[in-house]
Amino acid sequence: MDSGFIALVTMYLVASVRMATPLILAGLGEAVSEKAGILNIGVEAIMLSGAFFSFIVAFFTGNLFLGLLTGIVGGVLVSMIHAVLSIHCKANQTIAGLALNFMVMGLTSFLFLIVFGQTTTIPSCTMFGDIKIPLLSSIPIIGPALFNQNVFVYLALIGIILTAIFFYKTEWGINLHAVGEHPQAANSAGLNVFAIRYFACFINGVLGGLGGASITLGQLGFFMENVTSGRGYIALVAVILGRRNPIGIFAAAMVIGFSQALQYNLQTLGFPIPTQVFTMFPYLVAVIVLFLSIGKSIDPSALGIPFERNKR
Amino acid sequence: MKIYKGLALLLCMLVLLTGCGSGAAQETTSKDQKMKVALLLSGPANDQGWNATALEGLKAAESKFGLETTYSENVGVADTESAYNDYAARGYDLIIGHGFQFGDPAVRVAQKFPELHFMATESNSQAENMASYVMSCEQGGYLMGILSASMSKTGKIGVIGGIEQPSIIKELEAFKLGAKKVNPNIVVYEIYVNSFTDVSAGKDAGLSMIDKGADVLYHVANQAGTGAIKAAEEKGVLACGNSYDQNSIAPNTVISSTVYNMPTVILTAVDAVKNGTFKGGITHLGMKEKVVDVSPYHSFESKIPEATKKLIEDTKQQIIDGTLTVPVIEKSTK
Repeated sequence: MDSGFIALVTMYLVASVRMATPLILAGLGEAVSEKAGILNIGVEAIMLSGAFFSFIVAFFTGNLFLGLLTGIVGGVLVSMIHAVLSIHCKANQTIAGLALNFMVMGLTSFLFLIVFGQTTTIPSCTMFGDIKIPLLSSIPIIGPALFNQNVFVYLALIGIILTAIFFYKTEWGINLHAVGEHPQAANSAGLNVFAIRYFACFINGVLGGLGGASITLGQLGFFMENVTSGRGYIALVAVILGRRNPIGIFAAAMVIGFSQALQYNLQTLGFPIPTQVFTMFPYLVAVIVLFLSIGKSIDPSALGIPFERNKR
Repeated sequence: MKIYKGLALLLCMLVLLTGCGSGAAQETTSKDQKMKVALLLSGPANDQGWNATALEGLKAAESKFGLETTYSENVGVADTESAYNDYAARGYDLIIGHGFQFGDPAVRVAQKFPELHFMATESNSQAENMASYVMSCEQGGYLMGILSASMSKTGKIGVIGGIEQPSIIKELEAFKLGAKKVNPNIVVYEIYVNSFTDVSAGKDAGLSMIDKGADVLYHVANQAGTGAIKAAEEKGVLACGNSYDQNSIAPNTVISSTVYNMPTVILTAVDAVKNGTFKGGITHLGMKEKVVDVSPYHSFESKIPEATKKLIEDTKQQIIDGTLTVPVIEKSTK
């Protein structure tokens, strides 16, 4: 392998990780939520809220860390609305998620307009810089991609490891699965189904809010109407592709990030492939994967079904 | 019964969100018989770009001529015709759609209301009382090509387009022609990000060009292009802005911008309606009409070589004189 090739691969990887980070964060949150039986397609709303609130606070206080925390709070707020609707009110979870997506889109645009008015200048804040981890960052190829990035990439990586341990190595993880697979049995076993589901939604809000904040505070340094532009939906695709497995979600998000990086590079090389083909690529893969998994139920059995204690 | 409570709440939210989302028309009413002008925008008015400049134009016309004005944001393609219909039925004298896609619906509605005036920007449709005002954006793109190629040290520059459609392609192609005029061997990377709003995509596209050695970026992608400027700023390379003076986004990065003077376009149309000289057909407005222009260089005034400044000034003069016509290429030549 010559150095040019290594440089190219490194460049692709760095770009893929950068594009995958918001998807990984939001996808992990959604996986926790779905494992507990709460299908929240309002990931877009959670991310948008996280992106908006993190930016507003970072802009006015100049404190990025405070911005990050507010981003988390923004995400949790939205996900808790969904939690109350689907756990307490037993509403249709899909509709609730959908409604939240539209509502938060309107709400953040409206608040943004109120705060900054109609301008042609873009209010921007500082961003989290790259943190170089000594030694690890000098590993060829994966060093620059994984260990010379901003704080959100590290949070995503730590998040993958922690959720994997949480899912498969802890009693809490077993409880979470139980609540998603068979809430009645979990209830009989003495687990508080409602509390566990609320907790799962809370985690979804935290991670989704981080995912949103990673766009405004890690990538752009400013906010615009609909700044997430559909990344929440792509995160949902990553969750399906990765079958709610943290490592799987990481891989899926990387494939999506890579296909985007590849798209730009093929275009600059002048390949005559229509750009629209690449835009549909992640969704195409998702459809194919869903086709291949016909007959095999991979969803938690109680996904999307409200739990009622006195019902069989 | 609980499920109904949930549903009721959801319904309330749905009502709320449609209220926020579609941006209801805002109206300023008055008693006397003022001329009424309505503006239709394809996206949010607060996009710091394409739509914001149009609204600025409407406001300018309002204060200059004392009009009664209103506008609708986020008018989707499917709603265009009914939006025209609605304003026409309410007796608006001039109804302006800002964008290519507003052309055909305007023609259909124009036939039903022969006494009113219809207009669409960037379109190629026309009727007796419906005019298309096309901005010669390619003239700006051509000059930016010259500037970018002159400022590049690596011999590689990049241009980012929004959606691959004629009004965008013509500017990208002109950019490439301008660049080749200065340096026939220049490498011009081009990427269409398939969105006018996805800022992250714009930034990633910009970064991928910079990774390949591009040191001046240009964009024709509204909000998405802002991401490209941010990419240039972050990596310490140069950029050219689009549609208004974008130097304020990144003062040490943006050398110059093409400026579309929408207020002039709207003032021209309103003026024509007022004087009764409004005619259907396609009108091209470019540098000669001061509709397309390039912004000042700001902090780059001293950094751009005099020869380059002179070349741009001369080329601009030739375009205004009509001695140079920038070709309009509406099919991508990738």
